[in-house]
Amino acid sequence: MTDARTIRFTLNGAPVSVSVMPHETLIEMLSLRLELKGARESCGQGLCGCCTVYVNGKSVSSCLYLAQLVDGANVVTIEGINDGARLDPVQEAFIEVGAFQCGFCTPGFIMMARELLDVHPNPTDDEIRHYLIGNLCRCSAYPEIVEAVKLAARRRAAGTAPALAQELSA
Amino acid sequence: MVALMPVGNIGRSVPRLEGRDKVMGQAEYTHHLRLPGMLYGKIFRSTLPHALIKSVDTSAAKAVEGVFRVVTIDDIRTVIPHPYYGPAFHDQPVLADGKVRFAGEPVAVVLASDPRVAEYAASLITAEYEELPAVLDEVEAAASDICVHDELKPAATFPDLQHLKGRRGTNVALDYRLVRGDVEAGFAAADHVFEHTFRCQQAMHTPMEPFVSIADVRDGRMTLHTASQGPSFVRIEMARLLGWPENRVRVKVPHLGGGFGGKLYIKLEALVTSLSLLVQRPVKISLTMEEQFFMVTKHACTFTIKSGVNNDGKVVARKCRILWNGGAYADIGPRVTQKAGFTSAGPYDIDNVEIESLAVYTNRPPAGALRGFGAPQAAWAYECHTDLIAEALNFDKIEFRRQNLLKEGRPQASGTPVHDAAFEKVMDQVADRLDWHKPFNRGNGRILRGRGLAVGIKGITSPTTSVAIVNLYGDGSCGLYIGTVDMGQGSDTVMAQIVAEVLGLDAEAVHVIHPDTDVTPYDMGTLGSRSTFHMGTAVRLAAEDVLRKIDDLAKELGLPPNSNLPVSEMLRKKYGMQAGNIIGTGSFIPDYKKPDPETGQTPKATPFWGVGANGAEVEIDTETGEVKIVKLVNVVDAGVAINPRAVRQQVSGAAIMQMGFTMTENMVFRDGQLTNGSLADYKIPSLLDMPEQFVNEYVESRQQSGPFGAKGTGESSTIALSPAIGNAIADAIGVHLTDLPLTQESIFRAIQKKNGTPLPEDDND
Amino acid sequence: MLGFELSEPATLDEAFDLLADGDPGVRPMGGGTALMLMMKAQIFKPERLVSLRNVGGCFDGLRIDADRSHIRIGGMTTFAEIECSPMVLQHLPAVVRTMKTLANIRVRHVASVGGNLAHADPHLDLPPVWMTHAASIRIVSKTGERVIPVEDLFAGYYETTLEGGELIAEVIVPVRPEWTSTYVKVTTRSAHDWPALGIAVSANLQGRRVNDLRLVLSAALDRPTRLVAAENELRGSDLDEAALKRAGEAAVAEVDIHSDSRGSAAYKQHLLRVHLSRAMHSLVGV
Ligand SMILES: Cc1cc2nc3c(=O)[nH]c(=O)nc-3n(C[C@H](O)[C@H](O)[C@H](O)COP(=O)(O)OP(=O)(O)OC[C@H]3O[C@@H](n4cnc5c(N)ncnc54)[C@H](O)[C@@H]3O)c2cc1C
Ligand code: FES
Ligand code: FES
Repeated sequence: MTDARTIRFTLNGAPVSVSVMPHETLIEMLSLRLELKGARESCGQGLCGCCTVYVNGKSVSSCLYLAQLVDGANVVTIEGINDGARLDPVQEAFIEVGAFQCGFCTPGFIMMARELLDVHPNPTDDEIRHYLIGNLCRCSAYPEIVEAVKLAARRRAAGTAPALAQELSA
Repeated sequence: MVALMPVGNIGRSVPRLEGRDKVMGQAEYTHHLRLPGMLYGKIFRSTLPHALIKSVDTSAAKAVEGVFRVVTIDDIRTVIPHPYYGPAFHDQPVLADGKVRFAGEPVAVVLASDPRVAEYAASLITAEYEELPAVLDEVEAAASDICVHDELKPAATFPDLQHLKGRRGTNVALDYRLVRGDVEAGFAAADHVFEHTFRCQQAMHTPMEPFVSIADVRDGRMTLHTASQGPSFVRIEMARLLGWPENRVRVKVPHLGGGFGGKLYIKLEALVTSLSLLVQRPVKISLTMEEQFFMVTKHACTFTIKSGVNNDGKVVARKCRILWNGGAYADIGPRVTQKAGFTSAGPYDIDNVEIESLAVYTNRPPAGALRGFGAPQAAWAYECHTDLIAEALNFDKIEFRRQNLLKEGRPQASGTPVHDAAFEKVMDQVADRLDWHKPFNRGNGRILRGRGLAVGIKGITSPTTSVAIVNLYGDGSCGLYIGTVDMGQGSDTVMAQIVAEVLGLDAEAVHVIHPDTDVTPYDMGTLGSRSTFHMGTAVRLAAEDVLRKIDDLAKELGLPPNSNLPVSEMLRKKYGMQAGNIIGTGSFIPDYKKPDPETGQTPKATPFWGVGANGAEVEIDTETGEVKIVKLVNVVDAGVAINPRAVRQQVSGAAIMQMGFTMTENMVFRDGQLTNGSLADYKIPSLLDMPEQFVNEYVESRQQSGPFGAKGTGESSTIALSPAIGNAIADAIGVHLTDLPLTQESIFRAIQKKNGTPLPEDDND
Repeated sequence: MLGFELSEPATLDEAFDLLADGDPGVRPMGGGTALMLMMKAQIFKPERLVSLRNVGGCFDGLRIDADRSHIRIGGMTTFAEIECSPMVLQHLPAVVRTMKTLANIRVRHVASVGGNLAHADPHLDLPPVWMTHAASIRIVSKTGERVIPVEDLFAGYYETTLEGGELIAEVIVPVRPEWTSTYVKVTTRSAHDWPALGIAVSANLQGRRVNDLRLVLSAALDRPTRLVAAENELRGSDLDEAALKRAGEAAVAEVDIHSDSRGSAAYKQHLLRVHLSRAMHSLVGV
């Protein structure tokens, strides 16, 4: 249909229904209709990772994803990775190490880093670099980002801070 | 007097005040802001680099359902009779005015409440042009009959540009000159004379938050929400365009998703202002990443450098001629030309110097300020040149530099004596981290290894003003009101540290109020490494003013000396309840003496010196030209580091950015059209480009005139990074490359040429 | 990117009906990554997109034939599924290695094998790899089906031999334990970039002796192309410097490489010689 369609999906654990046009991208729906700020469009081409969200437990570039296609899906954004009281270990590590400057790319890096740690709980530098190759940071906080990922990995391993929202994204 | 307890805010790596907001994705950026009733503007751009506009057909766009209005310069003129702006020249029209001067220039704007509708409608606009010949190269443009502008129109604000007013028949927008001693006599007397020409490419800032501005004009007042590094300038320039007093223009800036010099002066602000004035509704324009390439860029340049050197290794004369490719509009290019010009002979003590630095208009996207303000382009030439001379005369590269480096108190080429500039220290620390004096494995056969270093100098834009307000509220908590924009460099945190140190608080407890020209006082701009020094001093003075006022209040209340009564109690005593404020103000403008217009000589050219040295170790696959940066060392003089981690992040971030400008980033044009204007084809550094070993440090030093001994450091590691890598490559392959970027192919070609088997030039393109 | 219809048929027949008219504004959609880029750039203005994500059947998943002779990869299988498949890792390790530098994991979570092939961008990394693996594709349409070698799919720059309404249902890759393969993504502008050249090689080796081989060059040409003359130089001979040199020269001579933003023709020809030789060496583990 060329007209708006109402879709229903789970957003950060809560059911939502939204009326969207076929041409709307997921990032447009999240930021314009649902007023979320964490995922944001920068390159618009799938290259920078600023718009990263999880759809059914997998990271996607929401700038290249049509909104209607999340009908029935489980969508998690940076707003949904902690319970509000306590930050996710990756978020904590980013603050502790200082893994950002302007912060525009940061939610995207954090979302990817969480997924990276699910796949490689004890990642090598090479695994980190390759997993995060679709994320660009013009402030070039790269050395600190790699450090933060490793710190978060140690924290997760030590179980000092359980990955809170893993169930949400699973 | 309240006891001054040093609480250890200085030299402490206070985590960014806004860290939590940023990792949660909740920090405020203009990017997200939407206002009720807001329209989105999408730009229709020219497809030709130089042409007269015969007609613009907007009928199809207007017919699209949901389009509110389509606007061209004729509409703009109905609300702003003379719609031209710019910091140095009033040369840039709000929309193309009868002529387009670069491919990508805005010609019309579609307004709609749905940005997709505006975008679609903009794609339906067509224009008819009468094509004009275009000039793209700065060397060609400097002497060409093809003129980008009919007449030069300097802005009144720059007295040193007034002699250019009304000049016709030229593309040269500024002819900066510096003369010291007698350079020709110097060459004649020198034992050796060397001359080389170097080139830098056009590049782009690429902030991750693309340019975005929102204007909201109503009832004769305007609020601009804009991702700008210079809210005070924006207010002044918009007030001028509108013919309004400053107090009717309000400019608000939240966090910036990167700036790097791009988001300075007027970018989208004039356009959204005009549009909002026209339709009396809020208007937002957000550029896409691709459109950013048409907003502002880093100057390409051609630099010819000639030196007279004696057998003992003393450089006795140096002549520099730099042509800066400013693109179609001057922006702040003339200032870049001048500021980078005056240090273009390098950090060296040379008796006879002549510098000519020309800003040249071409039919390319405009160039402006970018992290280093031209200093990295200049250093690319003078530091490669330094190595070439040392090699030719068989001098050790460090000792040759040491012999010629400016020492404390010696006059720089402008005549300004050098103080608090740790050139030797940064150089020696780089050499140490590279193990320069130990044996080095140069590789053999297919893989060759090399190392290089370079030292850079930068002057700081002067004179500029910063004003700060420190406000203690009724409960004694502290707000800091400044126009400095935190675009990622951490200024909020550092300024909070300064206030906290003076007032005996914890930096974490200070609230920094973001730029809002209705609330925060004047600041010249967040640019050119000036904020820590200038605003930092203003903040310190404002905090000291608060201390004085607390003291006065104590006297007024008849408190015994050193009573140490908390401020909240004092205010309660005075007002009988939790009420009132203690407001301290501080304003700072450094000493400055205008240079002599003929010779560029002045005793005070800059409030402090930007100082950095870089070193690189590279590995080259001689079969392919592939280069690997094995080690990159960046050492700067930051004075006293107020926040050591923030300093290291600046050193490291700036170095990686400059590594991009050295190795990969390049705006490529064909027939005046940009061919690689997206992140898919314009390659900024990624995690895979990181050097294997990456060392970022600062030396022990002190800027006597800076707040707590600090100086700016956001650019220092960029200055000499390109020549450090270039020199390392030359060390490996035995040939110096002269043109940036240092691509694999250019390295391979250089190797083949040296081996006497040159690769054929491009055949089919 | 306005005013189009997005349909998600639940069966293949429905999909055929929705695609039927062969209108250029009507296209099937796999992961949509390539389509979205073209739509955003306004190169492609759709009227109807037909998502294949619910058609199921052979479009989904990975299978190995009962006789273990062929692996069948559904057209809607994502790159990430391939990358994570132990079966693919065991039988087609070069395919898994290619994924490591292909786009990024977010794209690989979404992009489909069928969409990748049908896109026919000559810079894509996987098509040359399928070609050296002697893979074929099964194409289905309302009127029937056909199986063609992957190399017969490409007709030119972004052009395929698919007729309107035809869909790529699966990629069929023979299991050839006696062959080894590799893919070299030669980038010239930065570490992570589109390739200046893609060089895929597959060989049946006996020590240094080449019993049989397939060489494919992509990115530098308008479509991925078998380097037949170079193959002939090496087939049946020993992998020594002289043979590799002959093969490199033959490769350069048999294709017409043009200059582009990733390198001049002369430079890319040189890189072809060097990397072809290195790729062959890597197969014998030297
Ligand atoms: C950020 C980014 C980086 C990338 N980097 C790389 C890289 O490094 N290397 C690389 O190789 N590729 C790269 N790509 C390209 C990527 O591989 C393709 O976009 C992807 O494979 C296309 O698959 P898709 O399923 O998304 O196709 P779609 O976008 O769904 O479709 C592409 C085309 O195929 C048609 N189509 C889709 N499915 C079928 C079918 N089953 N039968 C017939 N026609 C069909 C569509 O109509 C369309 O014309 C990159 C892409 C992005 C976005
Ligand atoms: S905005 Fe989606 S990846 Fe860059
Ligand atoms: S922190 Fe600014 S882009 Fe990454």
